[in-house]
Amino acid sequence: MYVLCIQAQQDKTDDSSFLDKTEFKVGYYGNVLWDNGLNLGAEYVWKEKKKVKETKKGQKTITHQFLVNGILGYSTNFANKTDNGLHTYYGLIWRRTSPKRWQFQVELNPLGYYRSFLPETFKVDGGDVSKVRLPGRSYYTPTIAFGIGRLRHGKRRSGWYLNFNCAFRTNYNAGVLPTYSIQYGHRFNFKKKK
Amino acid sequence: MRQFKRSFLNLVVLTITICSVASCSDDENLNDLDETIFVRHRNADMPAYIRGNASEKVFLITLNGGPGGVGLEFRGKAFDEIENQYGVVYFDQRGSGNSQGNYDKDEINIDIMAEDVLALAKVMKRKFGSDSRFFLLGQSWGGALGVATLQKDQSDFKGWIDVDGAYNAAGLYDLYLETFTTTANTQIALANSVDFWESVLELVSQVDPINNVNDFSKLNRKAPEAEAKLAQDGIINSEDTGVEGNNLNFVYNPRINQWNGIQIGSIITGDQGLFQTTDLTSQLPKITIPSLFISGQYDMVVPIVSAQTAFETIGSASKELLIFNRSGHSPPFSEPDRFATEVLRFMDEHKQSSATDYN
Repeated sequence: MYVLCIQAQQDKTDDSSFLDKTEFKVGYYGNVLWDNGLNLGAEYVWKEKKKVKETKKGQKTITHQFLVNGILGYSTNFANKTDNGLHTYYGLIWRRTSPKRWQFQVELNPLGYYRSFLPETFKVDGGDVSKVRLPGRSYYTPTIAFGIGRLRHGKRRSGWYLNFNCAFRTNYNAGVLPTYSIQYGHRFNFKKKK
Repeated sequence: MRQFKRSFLNLVVLTITICSVASCSDDENLNDLDETIFVRHRNADMPAYIRGNASEKVFLITLNGGPGGVGLEFRGKAFDEIENQYGVVYFDQRGSGNSQGNYDKDEINIDIMAEDVLALAKVMKRKFGSDSRFFLLGQSWGGALGVATLQKDQSDFKGWIDVDGAYNAAGLYDLYLETFTTTANTQIALANSVDFWESVLELVSQVDPINNVNDFSKLNRKAPEAEAKLAQDGIINSEDTGVEGNNLNFVYNPRINQWNGIQIGSIITGDQGLFQTTDLTSQLPKITIPSLFISGQYDMVVPIVSAQTAFETIGSASKELLIFNRSGHSPPFSEPDRFATEVLRFMDEHKQSSATDYN
């Protein structure tokens, strides 16, 4: 039987360095069948709350974090020459880490950008035909994601994550195109060993 | 240092040589093209997949069905044969397939899409030379789009091939009522799939005799089912996409295709009432280039009467109507050998003609 809660405490990392509060991540990005690519990113701990539960077996700590998130990635479809894109997005992650180090997270990234890269493209304007330099299009692309992961305490490679991501490419053709992908990767850090 | 400079120089020369060879390879591969280029026009970027043998610089530009279909849906046994002899351009129309862009809903309509096709022809001339020659082929919705294109400007095209073209989309409703009834009665008399054909007659009796969006959708959805029954009962051939199929599974993301289809469908067939308002019959006399009409005898989606009327109305002095007796709405797949033979014959006959021969 669990006894009561509890105590909420602010994290003591306020005086930590930037690197102590930052984790980097690298992973797969895509939907396996059509688009596949790579994501690089970083997350910075903005707020952190730890709840300590007293149980018969001892203390259990549940951590809630808000992290500032930034991602840069590239994906392509190997079966055609039309679906290459660079994306970057920024926002917030809310993450809960259980006493057994399992994590659940929700991401909201309102600042998102997608740039498609097209093969040889010709622009027709009236009777004029000209070749387009660096052909492609830019789209405002906010994203949302939710997923799970597992934390590794005190390690350089500090855990893995698996997210389901939904991005909204706006204005794509005459509407808003939702694209779905999964993200699987590992986080790592350059924190000073204590 | 001197050694390093020499190595560096060698590397630069080697790189330039490789790049030069690679850039020349396009000319050498005209007889086996496999290129994808994009056409940017009116805020849309639309891919054109250019395949086949363009050694004579003769290209067949294809317009797929839909609206909302994909350019490469034509690929299969028949088009493999056509590609062996001529270049074939598969085009993802505005708002379809892998085309993308950034535009308002009022920039999607048959008029702008016809201008897109003319833009494609201009781009092809820029890329392959002004001596390139084009034929235009449209199937179903692509038939309507083809007529809209040619009535604007037919000077770039040596010939027009209409395959089950829906140039009179507004007239399809009445044709459905008539064709469904006739075909159902015939099949019931032959004791073929009696329950199904009785359900077709029931549907015809239930819908409003006046064309409307809801009832049109019901009839339009029933048409492919009817063709499937005809194939099942051996009246028409089943569709054959060849040994390798058209291999579209990984080229197009089906979820994006579906999204595109819903978008463009809601705009063109919903908001603009394609199947209630569009009739391009009056434009047909303006088309004077050689024309070939191909229709399946048992086409339930765009009934054969449509092709017969177009054949009688078109302004071309050189025109043919071919009925494929074992086909429904997809002659390229139900009778691929005959389809390829007839299209190649038509192209062979007219590739040397000049525009002034027919104006």
